[in-house]
Amino acid sequence: MKRALAAAAMVAVAVPMLVAVSALPRPGAPDGPVHTQVAARYLAAGAAETGAPNLVTGVLLGYRSFDTFGEVMIIFTALAAVMAALPATGADGAADRQPAGGGLPAIRVSPLVAFVVRFTSPFIAAFALWVILKGHLFPGGGFQGGAILGALGILLTIVLDRRRVWPLPAVARSRLLQAGGPLAFAVVALAGLWLTGYVLGYPADPALHAVRSLMMLLLEVGIGFGGGAIILALFLRLRGD
Amino acid sequence: MSQLFDLVMLGLLVAMAVAVARSRDLVAAAVIFSGYSLVLCLLWLHRGAPDVAMTEAAVGAGVTTVLVLVAIGRTTRREK
Amino acid sequence: MTEVDALLQNIDYAAAVILFCIGLYVVVAKGNLIKKLLGLNIMETAVFAFIVTSGMVDGGHAPIVTEAATPPFASPLPHALVLTGIVVAVSITALALALIVEVYRRYGTIEADELRETD
Repeated sequence: MKRALAAAAMVAVAVPMLVAVSALPRPGAPDGPVHTQVAARYLAAGAAETGAPNLVTGVLLGYRSFDTFGEVMIIFTALAAVMAALPATGADGAADRQPAGGGLPAIRVSPLVAFVVRFTSPFIAAFALWVILKGHLFPGGGFQGGAILGALGILLTIVLDRRRVWPLPAVARSRLLQAGGPLAFAVVALAGLWLTGYVLGYPADPALHAVRSLMMLLLEVGIGFGGGAIILALFLRLRGD
Repeated sequence: MSQLFDLVMLGLLVAMAVAVARSRDLVAAAVIFSGYSLVLCLLWLHRGAPDVAMTEAAVGAGVTTVLVLVAIGRTTRREK
Repeated sequence: MTEVDALLQNIDYAAAVILFCIGLYVVVAKGNLIKKLLGLNIMETAVFAFIVTSGMVDGGHAPIVTEAATPPFASPLPHALVLTGIVVAVSITALALALIVEVYRRYGTIEADELRETD
């Protein structure tokens, strides 16, 4: 009964949406409104105005940096909310349901997997750094690099966790690193206010293009390392450390 | 050729989404969702969105799956 | 041009709609909270797929404008929006999972039906 009702609701939602999308311009049509409105301006002037040939980074950190700021705050707030919702095991009565030293029993990792992860991790880390630092020239940027760093941190923590001296979790718990994104935005916003009179403004003067690049790089590094640390911290807290 | 690639990928996506919906084993559902994200990432790479594809590969296929698996480990594996 | 032809021409959008509805079905019909969350993730990715598809252009390249690159370029705006959306999606997932783990710790079940009976 419930399933039939859900299926009927699904059809009732699907039909109007299918009718609506059938009236849209064909995807890929060069004269569609997606390409003729603001995107045309971004493509024509974006590289010169933001100093980032990779226009995705240019839009994220230049034209729409307020969006990005709000988004950085969302992931930071998510970490705070997860920490508030899940008490750390061991600190309270929750510990009796869980094995000691974390929410999950230690996973026995095959030596082959451990070797492959250890062998490839420097390359993954180098790639993540490249993605963060060169995000304005090539596909990449702070979010992408941060996601790669966070995934790498999770991978290494799963594989190398039995060593109690493993420093990565402690690094990820650093409040300063977790707040890297919002802090970088604060610095850049104030620098923009001082240089141009606008919050998050970038100096347009060609003589100050090095400053503009530095501001963008600071944002990328803050978002990248902060995002990576937050992802790893989310994993650790969910696991019950 | 490009059209065929698109159609195969879209069919795969729908099949995997249905498999996630039908699977009673939550671990299986999470792993299929990881594959679904990876297929989506290929599709986006094909559509000229390497930035998005990169993030989806790391976040959708990697981080989300690991977080779900950890949560399954602390709750139950079988769906009733 | 008939409605069906128009739909076939926009098959990429139609696929996103179908994925969205599969996700919606999982959220509505399934009782397990983690399963519901996976359904929510399918809905989110369907919306992302729709937005990214809208930004593509025939024979387009990634929107990286250098001397070596030749137009046409895909629209960078949908890519930037989806990029932030993906990170928001993982934040939602993490928070929801934290709440689910806490619900299980307190009530011993993550089935919506059983939770309704326990109060």
